[in-house]
Amino acid sequence: MASRALALLAFLGVGFALSMSVSEYSLRLLNLAAISAVAVIGLNFAFGYAGLISLGHAAFMGLGAYILALLTTRAGWSPWLAAAPAVLGTGLAAALIGLPLLRLKGHYLALATLGLNVSFGIVAANWIEVTGGTNGVARIPGLALFGHALDGERAFLWLALAVVAILAILASALQRSRHGRAMMAVRDDETAAAMSGVNVTAVKVAAFALSAVYAAIAGCLFAAHVRFISPDDFNFAHSITFLSMLIVGGEGTIAGAIIGAALLTFLPEWLRGLGESYLAFFGLMMLAILIFMPRGIMGLALGLAARRRRPAQSHTQATSAVAGKAVRP
Amino acid sequence: MADLIQLMTNGLALGSVYALAAIGFVIVYSATGVVNFAAGQFVMVGTFAGVATLLNAGLPMPIGYAGALVAMALFGALFYLVVYLPLRASPIVTVIIGTVAIGITLQNAALLTFGSWPFRLPSPFEGMMIELAGAVVSVHALAVVVATAVMIGLLWLLLHRTVIGVAMRAVAQDVKAARLMGLRVQGLLAFSWILGAVMAGVAGLMLGPMWFADVNMGDPIALKAFAATVIGGFGSLPGAIAGGFFVGLAEVLGASYISSAYKDLIAFGVMILFLLVRPQGIFGEPIQDRG
Repeated sequence: MASRALALLAFLGVGFALSMSVSEYSLRLLNLAAISAVAVIGLNFAFGYAGLISLGHAAFMGLGAYILALLTTRAGWSPWLAAAPAVLGTGLAAALIGLPLLRLKGHYLALATLGLNVSFGIVAANWIEVTGGTNGVARIPGLALFGHALDGERAFLWLALAVVAILAILASALQRSRHGRAMMAVRDDETAAAMSGVNVTAVKVAAFALSAVYAAIAGCLFAAHVRFISPDDFNFAHSITFLSMLIVGGEGTIAGAIIGAALLTFLPEWLRGLGESYLAFFGLMMLAILIFMPRGIMGLALGLAARRRRPAQSHTQATSAVAGKAVRP
Repeated sequence: MADLIQLMTNGLALGSVYALAAIGFVIVYSATGVVNFAAGQFVMVGTFAGVATLLNAGLPMPIGYAGALVAMALFGALFYLVVYLPLRASPIVTVIIGTVAIGITLQNAALLTFGSWPFRLPSPFEGMMIELAGAVVSVHALAVVVATAVMIGLLWLLLHRTVIGVAMRAVAQDVKAARLMGLRVQGLLAFSWILGAVMAGVAGLMLGPMWFADVNMGDPIALKAFAATVIGGFGSLPGAIAGGFFVGLAEVLGASYISSAYKDLIAFGVMILFLLVRPQGIFGEPIQDRG
């Protein structure tokens, strides 16, 4: 409990310190990192806890963003009001899609969700009368809080940090609840979970829908921050990026989701010094991280901490923390 | 009628390319269990190997094609060493992300080497047209279909009539048993990567004159090859062929008879439908952990 409160304080402290010290451009990147963090904390429910490989996460982010964008620009709703149907509608859509789709496992589920994301992009780009096609939806109103417009990058970052913190607390509470444990039980052994009275289908659909709810919140934040959305903002490459963030940060951990989101948002920027070849290096660095840190940054940190605490049992500690990852499905 | 013949030819030619890309993907998947998300970039690399030998080096066609395919074989071996070996014991998601990451590297390396301006890869049948039952069709498209049929025939002979092919199928069936029988498993796995890369290279060389050679061509091809693989049956070679032709025909016929905007939705819609109703595809066998 104390360590979690400490981590939360450290997150808010570092976030606030950065918000007061870095350049406008870095503030913008921090905002994008925070929005990604919301999406990745959500993906952690589906993949980190329940073990569902989703390559369609960006589509749910896009669905939430489009609902908010259309309700605010066409119907003149306030963004705060429009966020409710955007988030709930996306969660419902994910539950309806998940019901038949989540019978699939492993790379079958990965390809099905990938197909879903590609299909979302095709519809968003071609259903011009509703979505505006590839021109997207522009002039989305910004957010205001207690009469103050959150139009600067810094003010928006404060909101985004608060949203990340609240959603991280909720996710942490859920992880420790009966429902979180049920998700992990399904991930580790479906048959054993079912034998113990866990309703496997319900748990999977719930994890998937919850991950979509977080993605939709990220989509709403994205729409309100950038004030313009187009199909390319939510193509399948973004889904793969979210999954990469989670794996680089450390799957199954909320801190890992946040660290991974921040790192992969800034890594390409740090590599820009290499000139034109920076994206080629980015790919190689990702591969190196996967090879040398298979459990991500948090997996590495937790493994080291466990080794220091209990030198004799360090190995079992470290492996049991990520038991779900060791087996190849 | 003339229109239909023309469209069918183009659809079959495009389907041939998807089928070869899917075959390359399936050869690697059956042997190594790796879901290679860089499969589309393999085809892109094949097209640009052709750009390098035929356009940049100006080699005559037979030598240029042979040179490009030798380069693809080396590329497959390199991929085996640098990507497959370090990731072979990793969970499936790590492999997916790893192959995507290396795909980003390949795409940007091609961008740095060849620039963003698209190339037009020449065909041995440049500009040649032939009349077929009243329809004018391109000779290149027909040649692509014929060449694909030949490649599939050669592959069948390799897998069923040679020692190395039988050994490859043994490895695909059961690595442990194959090793106990004294097969050199690692060498055979490396050969699977090489064969997969060469198949992708042939697809790339044939696609070059049909589309423009563009460094961003990899992703759309990968998505179509995945759809073809799922529809035909994951891990099945006849399935990859049938799926490839289905996706190619659906794209060309769908664009002209249904909607050019939504043409790609047909392939992915059918793919998702297959996953829901018949996850083993047309030719696959129902296997418990794959459902």
